[in-house]
Amino acid sequence: MKMEVVKGNQTMGIIAAIAGWVVPGLGHLVLRRWSKAAVYFLCIGGLACAGLAMRGGVFGGASEDLFDRLGFFADLGAGVFYFLAHQLQAAGPDVAHATGDYGTRLFAAAGMLNLLTVLEAYEIGRGGEPR
Amino acid sequence: MNVLFGSLTHFGALLFFALVVSLTFAFLSKYGIAERLKYAAWAFLAFLLVAIGIGWLMYPFSQ
Repeated sequence: MKMEVVKGNQTMGIIAAIAGWVVPGLGHLVLRRWSKAAVYFLCIGGLACAGLAMRGGVFGGASEDLFDRLGFFADLGAGVFYFLAHQLQAAGPDVAHATGDYGTRLFAAAGMLNLLTVLEAYEIGRGGEPR
Repeated sequence: MNVLFGSLTHFGALLFFALVVSLTFAFLSKYGIAERLKYAAWAFLAFLLVAIGIGWLMYPFSQ
């Protein structure tokens, strides 16, 4: 199958990576990867919103605990969903129940998935790759 | 949103997680609709099989 190669540069890669981190899928939108942008936004956004709706916990950065710090970096990967977590989750977290605990994991998974898509956006923007 | 996910069962949460992660992995690693669909379907089934398998393995310890 013939692949169309899109040329890029370092600046484009960094712009795409930052955009992709802020809003899942936005980096691919900048790079005109329409289907990837839509799927990443829906899947990662859906996962993050589900985690918050299940009253999962969102880690803060001030904790001394190593596990909490790892959780903070994972959550931070979700970009705008992390910063809007308190607005989106009006009732606050409830990790005393299993559903809330699952919500915590779903939100962290959304952040980690978004970091993978950010790396891909950077790679596409930097050097180009097959569509 | 709370209506959709607030009352989700544990199995429902597993299905949702498996579906979105499989789709994302498929778009990250494969090209073309057919390849992506095939990969997503396999990854989705693998998530379910492994989760249910580990669940059964842990079952004796819950008694």
